[in-house]
Amino acid sequence: MTTTTAATDTDTALMAHLLRRAGFGATRNQIDHYLEKGYEATVEELLNPEYGEPEDQDLLDRYFIASTEARSVGHADPQWSWRMATSPKQLEEKIALFWHSLLAVGGIKLDHGMEMLTEIDLFRRVGLGKFRTLLLEISRNPGMMYWLDNQNSHKDAPNENYGRELLELFSMGIDQNGEGAYTEDDVKAAARAFTGWASKPTMPPFFLGPFPMEFRFDPEDHDERDKTLLGETGNWNGDDAVNIIVQQPATAEFISRRLYQFFVADEPDQQEVRKLADVFTENDGEIRAVLRAIFNSEHFKSEEIRFRKVKSPAELVYGTARLTDRFDLPDMDTSQLANYAMFMGQHLLNPPSVEGWHEGEEWIDSGALVERINFASSQLERTDAPGVEQMLERVRSAGDSLSPREYVNACLDAMGAIQLSDRTMNILTEHAAGQSIHQDQRNRATEMFQLIASTPDYQYC
Amino acid sequence: MNPVDVRLARDGNLYVLSRSNASNKNVRISVVTPIDSEFLFEFANWGTEPGKATQPTAMDFGPDDRLYLADEFTQTISVFEKDGSFLTRWGEEGSGHGQFNRPSGLAVDSAGDLFVVDHLNARVQKWSPDGQHLSSFGTFGTGHGQFNFPWGISIDDQDHVWIADWRNDRIQRFSPEGEFVSAFGSSGNADGQFDRPSSVHCGRDGNIYVSDWRNDRVQVFDRDGTHRETLVGSATLSRWCQEFLDVNPEQAGWRENSGMAEREKLFWRPAGIETGPDGRIYIADSCRHRIQIYQRAPEPALV
Repeated sequence: MTTTTAATDTDTALMAHLLRRAGFGATRNQIDHYLEKGYEATVEELLNPEYGEPEDQDLLDRYFIASTEARSVGHADPQWSWRMATSPKQLEEKIALFWHSLLAVGGIKLDHGMEMLTEIDLFRRVGLGKFRTLLLEISRNPGMMYWLDNQNSHKDAPNENYGRELLELFSMGIDQNGEGAYTEDDVKAAARAFTGWASKPTMPPFFLGPFPMEFRFDPEDHDERDKTLLGETGNWNGDDAVNIIVQQPATAEFISRRLYQFFVADEPDQQEVRKLADVFTENDGEIRAVLRAIFNSEHFKSEEIRFRKVKSPAELVYGTARLTDRFDLPDMDTSQLANYAMFMGQHLLNPPSVEGWHEGEEWIDSGALVERINFASSQLERTDAPGVEQMLERVRSAGDSLSPREYVNACLDAMGAIQLSDRTMNILTEHAAGQSIHQDQRNRATEMFQLIASTPDYQYC
Repeated sequence: MNPVDVRLARDGNLYVLSRSNASNKNVRISVVTPIDSEFLFEFANWGTEPGKATQPTAMDFGPDDRLYLADEFTQTISVFEKDGSFLTRWGEEGSGHGQFNRPSGLAVDSAGDLFVVDHLNARVQKWSPDGQHLSSFGTFGTGHGQFNFPWGISIDDQDHVWIADWRNDRIQRFSPEGEFVSAFGSSGNADGQFDRPSSVHCGRDGNIYVSDWRNDRVQVFDRDGTHRETLVGSATLSRWCQEFLDVNPEQAGWRENSGMAEREKLFWRPAGIETGPDGRIYIADSCRHRIQIYQRAPEPALV
């Protein structure tokens, strides 16, 4: 797809690109704010969020009281929705979304919304740090242990679920032929290393609500014999297994490829992935270092990378919600955002399987596309929303003697310095030329915003 | 569903107001007998039309036994007979006289007038029983007589008005005319400190009960704000819980194995409080889906 440059300068377009990928996108005013900081300083700010409870957590709990003690995914929805729609620490939420799909725990089986939120918070807390730390913590996460049946893994009868997924889906991966850089014996050894690791029995939630899940290690049920894992032999436990796994070149390659696919492009560029794998290895598996290398690379900054990645439902929903900038207090609409994402095929806190979601073009089918267009269009119709008001003001201040093409460009700029393909640009320019000059200017601009949000181009970030 | 307020009718029945997330429809007022938890009937179920409730926050009985219900989604006060028959409702969104921006607390004084905590407008509004706006007091801030997202309200036997000034972590007391009288509390978790007090209740025993929401406890004070006692929750299994476990032995087994017997007793986000003439204290344990009941010495009989 060739692109037509909107009426924005190069720095603005680049900053908008960064904020769409490292976050969910930004309003034009927010882009200006970050332009004053500069690109690299913005990257550093995104990469170094201060972990902690948001200031409005009390308000959220007060309004959505059932989400405080979320017994199900449905009850938990508003908690994460609110953060994705409003948190100033965009990459903290985006990396949580990334790990939520890669280290996937399914909410339906777990049936414990509170624990699902605990897991998301784990991703916020350590998701940008060392991969070793993350893998150790997720291996002690009671939700994960329950999800992958590790409470049924005993020293005399190990259950291989966690050991297998740890190697295949969480760290080393497999190639297109289903081959991994590990063997079935490694799966068995990993499973034995994790015997005795489980979630504690917990209270049934059905009459008093959920109680926190807790990790339990039972040394009596742990296989203390030697195991050979990835060529190394010893009396390994789960911690040892993680330490061995994170040092594998295949782990560096796999995690780097997944980060590339999530933050850069659906189709991996092998040369770039190898560079990132080197960064991963040189920095002891620090995810922050890999992302820094991504965002500061000429490859990421290049025009050919922009608007090539299909927005996930979460990216579309929360990106559009942020554009409207209307979520200043928790309300009914906050919880509805998660429902919109679900209608588009992404039931947050409940990935379809341990593989998470299949990203890229698979997000789009005719039903999902209708949902996407209807949602985005309905949000941008809300001229009472502060973000839409700002967009209208930007278009108005661009002047009243714009050519049709300049008018479309002014609208694109107001919507966060986005760009369109030549074909779409020509169609919208033709439409703008046909709009009556006597039409109410607010209506004219709102109509154009909605049209832009209804284009195939808006499905990409 | 999550119980957020509880009131005793003069006939002795207990009215429990429950809400849930905005998108979940477990909303209602349930009426039960307080002694043996016998369910009697329910009303004000989920909905936005008259007679329904969407995001209800508080309720109170008037001297004529009519029940007033505040709803922060519909921005209204609804009025019911005690049998649940809907009578009327009033209110609309806004910041002008007689308008609401998320009414959150409600109490009736001895004359039958209503005091409504209009929390996003940071004020308390006074209404006649038939919905005529009478007066209001309070502004946003941290000074005396100012509020920051206030929530609960209670009126004592001298018609003084007590407000749970939620984000200021304090209780404020006002004269019947809305003049500031006193305040106590600060942010923290020591005795006499609060982490977002959700409810204040002037007990029949003369004590002031405060649901210290994010500290998961109820603190008891005398009327000058001196801390007397802290309740952290002492729940036993209710009759309904026991029946549930009796017919679900597998889950009874999970409960036994969890080792959480002590944790099970504790409050989790306590909200509305009521006291009865028999010395009972009823506390809506909002995130544990139950009412915890404490027994104090009953009121002395009049001679």
